[in-house]
Amino acid sequence: MNSEMGTTHMLHLILLFSVLSSVHVLTHGDSSTESYWLLRIKSLLTGPVGVLENWSPRAEFCTWNGITCSDDQTHVVGLNLSGSGLSGLISAEFSRLSSLQTLDLSKNYLTGSVPPELGQLHNLRELLLYSNHLSGNVPPEIGHLKKLQVLRIGDNSLTGQVPREIGNLTDLRVLGLAYCQLNGTIPAEIGNLKSLKSLDLQKNSLGGPIPREIRGCEELQNFAASNNMLEGEFPALMGNLKSLQILNLANNSLSGSIPIDLGRLFNLKYLNLLGNRLDGEVPVEFNQLGQLEKLDLSRNNLSGSINLFTTQLTNLQDLVLSDNFLTGNIPSNLCNGNSNLSQLFVARNKLSGKFPLDLLNCSSLQELDLSDNYFEGELPSELDKLENLTDLLLNNNSFSGNLPPGIGKHESLGNSLSMSGSIPVELTNCTSLTEIDFFGNHFSGSVPQTIGKLKNLVFLQFLSELFLITLYNNSLSGPLPETLFLLKNLRIINFSHNRFTGSIFPLSGSSNLTVLDLTNNTFSGPIPLSLSLSKHLTRLRLAHNLLSENIPPEFGNLTGLNFLDLSFNNLTGEVMPELSNCRKLGHLLLNNNQISGTIPSWLGTLQELGELDLSSNTFHGELPQEIGNCSRLLKLSLHGNKLFGEIPSQIGSLTSLNVLTLHKNNFSGSIPSTIQQCKKLYELRLSENSLTGLIPSELGKLTELQVILDLSKNFLSGEIPFSLGNLMKLERLNLSFNQLHGNVPLSLGKLTSLHMLNLSNNHLEGQIPSPFSRFPLSSFLGNGRLCGPPLPPCLGPIIREKKPLSNTAVAGVIVAIVFSSTLICLGLLYVMLRIWCNWKKVSVSSSEAGLEHKREEEKWVYREATGRDFEYWKVNSSQEKQISSTACIFQLKVDTETVDHSF
Amino acid sequence: MAFPTLLAFLLSLLLSFSPTLSTNNEGNALHALRSRLSDHTNVLQSWDPTLVNPCTWFHITCDSNNHVIRLDLGNSNISGSLGPELGELKKLQYLELYNNQIRGKIPKELGNLKNLISMDLYGNRFEGKIPKSFAKLKSITFLRLNNNKLTGSIPRELTTLSNLKVFDVSNNDLCGTIPVNGPFGSFPMESNIINVETRRGKVLTIRVLNCDIATHIFDMNVSIGNANIGVKRSMYFCTLPL
Repeated sequence: MNSEMGTTHMLHLILLFSVLSSVHVLTHGDSSTESYWLLRIKSLLTGPVGVLENWSPRAEFCTWNGITCSDDQTHVVGLNLSGSGLSGLISAEFSRLSSLQTLDLSKNYLTGSVPPELGQLHNLRELLLYSNHLSGNVPPEIGHLKKLQVLRIGDNSLTGQVPREIGNLTDLRVLGLAYCQLNGTIPAEIGNLKSLKSLDLQKNSLGGPIPREIRGCEELQNFAASNNMLEGEFPALMGNLKSLQILNLANNSLSGSIPIDLGRLFNLKYLNLLGNRLDGEVPVEFNQLGQLEKLDLSRNNLSGSINLFTTQLTNLQDLVLSDNFLTGNIPSNLCNGNSNLSQLFVARNKLSGKFPLDLLNCSSLQELDLSDNYFEGELPSELDKLENLTDLLLNNNSFSGNLPPGIGKHESLGNSLSMSGSIPVELTNCTSLTEIDFFGNHFSGSVPQTIGKLKNLVFLQFLSELFLITLYNNSLSGPLPETLFLLKNLRIINFSHNRFTGSIFPLSGSSNLTVLDLTNNTFSGPIPLSLSLSKHLTRLRLAHNLLSENIPPEFGNLTGLNFLDLSFNNLTGEVMPELSNCRKLGHLLLNNNQISGTIPSWLGTLQELGELDLSSNTFHGELPQEIGNCSRLLKLSLHGNKLFGEIPSQIGSLTSLNVLTLHKNNFSGSIPSTIQQCKKLYELRLSENSLTGLIPSELGKLTELQVILDLSKNFLSGEIPFSLGNLMKLERLNLSFNQLHGNVPLSLGKLTSLHMLNLSNNHLEGQIPSPFSRFPLSSFLGNGRLCGPPLPPCLGPIIREKKPLSNTAVAGVIVAIVFSSTLICLGLLYVMLRIWCNWKKVSVSSSEAGLEHKREEEKWVYREATGRDFEYWKVNSSQEKQISSTACIFQLKVDTETVDHSF
Repeated sequence: MAFPTLLAFLLSLLLSFSPTLSTNNEGNALHALRSRLSDHTNVLQSWDPTLVNPCTWFHITCDSNNHVIRLDLGNSNISGSLGPELGELKKLQYLELYNNQIRGKIPKELGNLKNLISMDLYGNRFEGKIPKSFAKLKSITFLRLNNNKLTGSIPRELTTLSNLKVFDVSNNDLCGTIPVNGPFGSFPMESNIINVETRRGKVLTIRVLNCDIATHIFDMNVSIGNANIGVKRSMYFCTLPL
């Protein structure tokens, strides 16, 4: 009994002890466990000195850096280590801090994944992990955080889909998932987030449509989903998002028209839809958006006219409508005096009309880009009223007239100026100007004498594309001012397509020139020697001027020269050997001058040469075989000279050659068969020479010949090679004025791309292949014995049969002529019918022969024969049977001939 | 020492400015094309985007108004894919990209090339469908897409191309029917109004090239007019008895 009592006391005591000890753990040990878990969390993090230093068991954890505790100092309610330079992992043991309401680890260098265990922090209101290096998925467990109001985990490397469980976070106000690699679609559940104010999904790979459920987010103020792959039309009733201030859907693939009801988003300040596939018009309802500050609809397929007015869009600052198909004028009340419009970009549309004068009242305007439209008419002289203007782009329109002198006041315009008119003297007051770019417009008048004041000018481009139909003198003219010689810093000069006269000497003052382009002016005199001092010159283009005398041998110093175009001038003399030092020459264009001498053999040393045009000069002598060493040559034009001798067989080494024009010379001998190696030729002209011999059948291997094969006006003989039928892409074939004989090979009928054919003035005979009946008579004239459409029909079989017949007739009795001829006619008819029937069998058997592996040509011949027979049968069946049967016999004859060819 | 630095600086200054200054749409489009292509033999080396226009680039031909009219990159050992920017070459007449290793879809923007006469994309690895937008190629005369990996059918829309003379889509993985309207109807074998319908079988080759209509067929039905005719394996249409 005692012992029993003793054991129960003992038990009570143990019980009491254990209860006491557990109470102790609950009251004191709790805080020590939070510090325990925090230290475990710390163990996965490393940071700069001072950040986690005081996270130590020796101090109360509520005093640790970044920790906020509950009022009773027992629980961690906030942890903020944003921007602390931390690296390492986010511990799953954050889940132990069950009272945590705010967790901010943003802007660190954290790696690893977002632990799904964070979903156990049921008190969490803000979770900020943005701007780290986190990877993996967005854990669906985040959907358990029912009290979450702010979730920002963007600017990481998160992948996978946006979990639909996010739709459970009904208190969420801010959702930031931008700048990750999320894919899939925007979950429809997003529409459950009735309190959402900001939704940022930019720069992910989200596809599919914008879910129409988004209209449930009625509090939404900021919706940004730009730079994704969203597609489809705008969801209906976006206009319900009445609170929306920012809508950015740029650079997606949205299609359809812009919904009118966006015009009901009266709070909208920023609307960016650039770079989609939107079509239709800019909704006129946008004028209701009185708060709108920035509107960018550029790079879409919008059409119609601009119907936006700052009288209503009073806060509009930036309007960007470039790169669409907008038409019509700029509306007169687009911008008035009281507006805030500072940027107006409408470049690359189809806008027309005069310079919008009302824009001159738009004093707030800083940048105006009207380039690449169809604007026309004179520029207003009051452009200088736009005193805040810094950038004005008017190029590629049809503006004309004078540039207003007042524009010179705009020192600020120095950065970028692109417009038209005459160049005002005042412009030269812009002494800080480093660039002038006036290309693509209509200028008039002369260059001001004071231009030499622009000492800093390094880039001078007066390229003015003159249109052929202009009623007024709209080009810069007159001699160049001598003072240009003072511009020693000039590197790039482009005065092309103007009407400058006189010497180009004033432009040779700078020894720093890299590019000099004076194409298409009326400069005259010799090419100044001083140009050879510009050692860095890479492009020298003086074509289409009136320059005379020889090419200075000193150009041999220009060892960096890549592009030398002196074509269409009055240059004389020979090509001096010094030029062989210009080893970098890729383009050498000396055509249409009066240059004489032989074609230098050192051209073969120019390994970079891709284009050599010496045509229309007075070069004589043979074509040096060294030309075959220019293995990169794409275009070789030597036509219109006095070259003679044979075409060197080394021409076959030019395996990259696209264009070879040797016509209008005195080349003799035969066409080298090595030309078959020039597999990339698409244009070959050898006409108007004295070439003899056969047309090499190897020409049929140049299957990329397309533009023309012109061998006309030579002395070529023999038959037209069957192989020319392989030139499936050939569009023009000229073999006229030669001494070709024999039949036109049936294979040429395969030339389905041919639309110009000239076989005239040869000695060809026989039936013209039936596909050629589409060509005019002139294609075949001057060949005595050719027949068939478009020439008169072939009586060929009768003529042919007549020869043996006439022999027998001579031998026969004259009295029997009438009798025998009727007999022959009847016999002939019988024989023809028999042959035709036999032949029909042949045709059937040939159809079976298609099953066998016969040669392609042969099959083709059969097919051609059957095809044409049907044509003839169809045409003639209603007429006399006799005629049809003659046609039939002729077919058979041709058939056998072509079969001969194929063997 | 200072001079080259200055030169480099000024050059870079120029290079940085020139794209904003010029409105070199065609050059930009071609430069964008270059960025998509792998150029194993440096045929595109001369494509300098800082030039005012692309007319002096190799493999480019311009008209007198400096608009690109020819792009010749056939047999050039280039790979990569095409992009929508090619549609910017509004004056292009000849697009010659045959016999390369170009992959991917044929961009539908090629349909914007209103002046195109010839499109030679044959001998590449193009996949996907023949774009319906080709129906906008009002000038197209020669359309050669053969020897690629194109799928789908020949778009009906192509029957509106009144200038089409050569249409070669052989050696692809096309299926479906060959159109019979428009230029397809006027190909010379007009007695062969052929309507190929795949029921169970697969058309291995459809070649619709002038009179050269020929098709390899496996176990399929061919209807001519309203009559269904069973056809043996590997038979050429041109040899069909009518």
